[in-house]
Amino acid sequence: MQNLSIRKFLNNKTIWLYIFSGGLLLCTGLLGLFLSSVTVPIATILHIISEKTLGMGWLQVIPKNEEMIIWNIRLPRVVLAFCVGASLALAGAAFQGLLRNPLADPYTIGVSSGSSLGAVLVLFFQVSIIGLGSFTLPVVAIVSGLTTLLVVFGLVQLSSRSLAIETIILAGIIVSSFIGALVSLIISLGDRDVMTQIIYWLYGSVGMRGWEYVQLIIPFMIIGSIILFYHYRELNALALGEETADHIGVNVKRGKAFILVGASLLTGSAVAVSGSIGFVGLVVPHLVRLIIGPNHRHVLPLSLITGGSFLILADLLSRTIIAPTELPIGVVTALIGAPVFAFLLIREKRGRRG
Amino acid sequence: MIKIENLVGGYSNAPVLTGINLEIHRGEFFALLGPNGSGKTTLFKMITGQLPIQSGNVLLSDKEISSYSKIEKAKKVAVLTQEVQVSFDYTVEEIISLGRYPHQKGLLKSLSKDDQRIIEEMMDITKISHFRKTQFKKLSGGEKQRVLLAKALAQEPEVLLLDEPTNHLDIKHTFQLLDLLKERQKTKGLTIFSILHDLNVAALYADRFALLHNGTLKEVGDVELLRKAEQLQDVYQVKVNAQSHPTVPKPQLLMTPEYSKDIENISFKDSYEIKKNENVTHIQFSKPLRTMSNGAFGEGIQWFKHFYFTDNTEKHGISNDKQACIVPTENIMITENSQMMAVVGMEKGSYKILLFLDGHFSDGELINGFMALTEGKMHAVKCLDSNSLDTQLLAVTQQGRKITAQEIREFIYSAITKATGMKLRLEVG
Repeated sequence: MQNLSIRKFLNNKTIWLYIFSGGLLLCTGLLGLFLSSVTVPIATILHIISEKTLGMGWLQVIPKNEEMIIWNIRLPRVVLAFCVGASLALAGAAFQGLLRNPLADPYTIGVSSGSSLGAVLVLFFQVSIIGLGSFTLPVVAIVSGLTTLLVVFGLVQLSSRSLAIETIILAGIIVSSFIGALVSLIISLGDRDVMTQIIYWLYGSVGMRGWEYVQLIIPFMIIGSIILFYHYRELNALALGEETADHIGVNVKRGKAFILVGASLLTGSAVAVSGSIGFVGLVVPHLVRLIIGPNHRHVLPLSLITGGSFLILADLLSRTIIAPTELPIGVVTALIGAPVFAFLLIREKRGRRG
Repeated sequence: MIKIENLVGGYSNAPVLTGINLEIHRGEFFALLGPNGSGKTTLFKMITGQLPIQSGNVLLSDKEISSYSKIEKAKKVAVLTQEVQVSFDYTVEEIISLGRYPHQKGLLKSLSKDDQRIIEEMMDITKISHFRKTQFKKLSGGEKQRVLLAKALAQEPEVLLLDEPTNHLDIKHTFQLLDLLKERQKTKGLTIFSILHDLNVAALYADRFALLHNGTLKEVGDVELLRKAEQLQDVYQVKVNAQSHPTVPKPQLLMTPEYSKDIENISFKDSYEIKKNENVTHIQFSKPLRTMSNGAFGEGIQWFKHFYFTDNTEKHGISNDKQACIVPTENIMITENSQMMAVVGMEKGSYKILLFLDGHFSDGELINGFMALTEGKMHAVKCLDSNSLDTQLLAVTQQGRKITAQEIREFIYSAITKATGMKLRLEVG
């Protein structure tokens, strides 16, 4: 009887965590819509959203410019920030689970820079693959991200048989620097216009993108998330090591392939729409794990929600902290993320020794 | 249950295993023995599917093992290996629930009531319920193995494959774990196939054994396999003696280290020193001797270096676990030749005898020697008023040549007649 009540309590705790993170998301979302140079009342914001999405509103007169600001500029920006943050955090959680390594994230293992290269190439040559149209950029970014991932793993495999934490991150850095050099090369080859465009894009931003970008990322985000959610048990099993996971009936090869593809879809599409934004995938899953424990059944969805909130907040900071000048969002996440990364590294090393 | 036919395989080109035939029956505890590098783990990994089969078959319930899907196989076979590194701070309960992986159904694949019940039961059996919420990382080695066993049992397997499951464990946890397995075997008919390093532990728990050597099976059989000291010596390159466990009808092996074999070759006569002073006669050997005695001091079969004749053990600091001691003090007669030395103590018609021999005796031969000693004595004293239950001690150096019972009888006979002669002379004189 006691066990049952304990379990009920724990279930409640989990439910409360979901409610809390959902509430946090709504709050940051509204805050993102509310705080800016032009202040629109919350009631008006809610009215505009409900009228546009559900077709019903309760306010009679809405200034046209307020509707424009909220619906065409701020809301896509907030939604895009959510999608990018959610994708990166979810991908980070998956990479960490797969590599059994809390320091892995799309940025540290080089997937982000791979995707960047793909995106930069598309921007530079202004190409568009027939049949893909506006999806060229995300598709190329995803493919190049996945390719980079394979290169990094190849390097690790060649240098040591185990997927050791340090080796993976080292290989990620090597590949990232190489790709960074390639990107610099491309920039220096281009004219001033292309250069500014690429550099601005590389800093990472979710502003001034409009609904098209949201439409670009959403299909990849949904597919990637479904793939990862479906494999949460495999991610848990992989914590025991690949051999033991195999012994309990996990098809390790297939599971790994799906998880890699799912996480690359998320990373690639996120990088494609927003440039490279680091550390989201590292910090958010780690915080989630601290609170709910390592079970991927909850780590994955909570990382998604919290990652979204985190990036909305980071975006908010980036455009308000020294307003009217806008900071690149990647700068804000790096300023928060790098110290946390350092802290995690120290804790991880200490923990293993002790 | 598992049938292995002409199995060949191993890493890359050179196969480690060359034609293995083996059958593991339903409900038995089968131990795979063999030195490092003999192919145990290779065979194990070929059964679990980690290594490819180059030729031959592994049948599980009469079906080719590779024809099972991963999930189907995991429902029938669970594996417990030496030690598993778990990343992240998973709790004990979460680790065990992973054992339900092959049984989970439906789209959401969450834990059903049935799954929960089985997880509870396994935690109960392995006595880990009380730290269900503890992080796996924080457990001790023995507790970790119990958790992993609970996870394996939660798969509800028909066969449990174990690869040196007690490798890192102390005696307590080793026996705890194996007792648990044995219990499961008896009550649920679980088939257990285990690689075991410790031959003595294997002898105590397993029903049947296979001895693997250089990729081929030397022998498959019951526990008698572990009495074949010569074969084991051949395979393991260590000097082995098979003995019987004092309370369980199973053999136990005693290993002789290399260093104890080459002791400097000094003659028997130089290997001891006899010191006599007032009430003590102290015989000291340069190294311990294997002894058999019916006396209070040094009783049974033991090893001793010091031997005393004295009536005051306390005064001379003699304890019965360090020294053999025989009580009477007066009239001590020593007889010696190049291979034997007898000390005969006489008191009121009783004879206490210590016989030291420079020879190698098995336990059985030791008993024979002891009997020969008694016979020799009875033969010598039959005309006198004697008690055959007097303290006797036979001590052997465990090196050198064999000494026959006849030689012992004759030697004792002459030693006693010499002693009685002396006594008579003393009495007459």
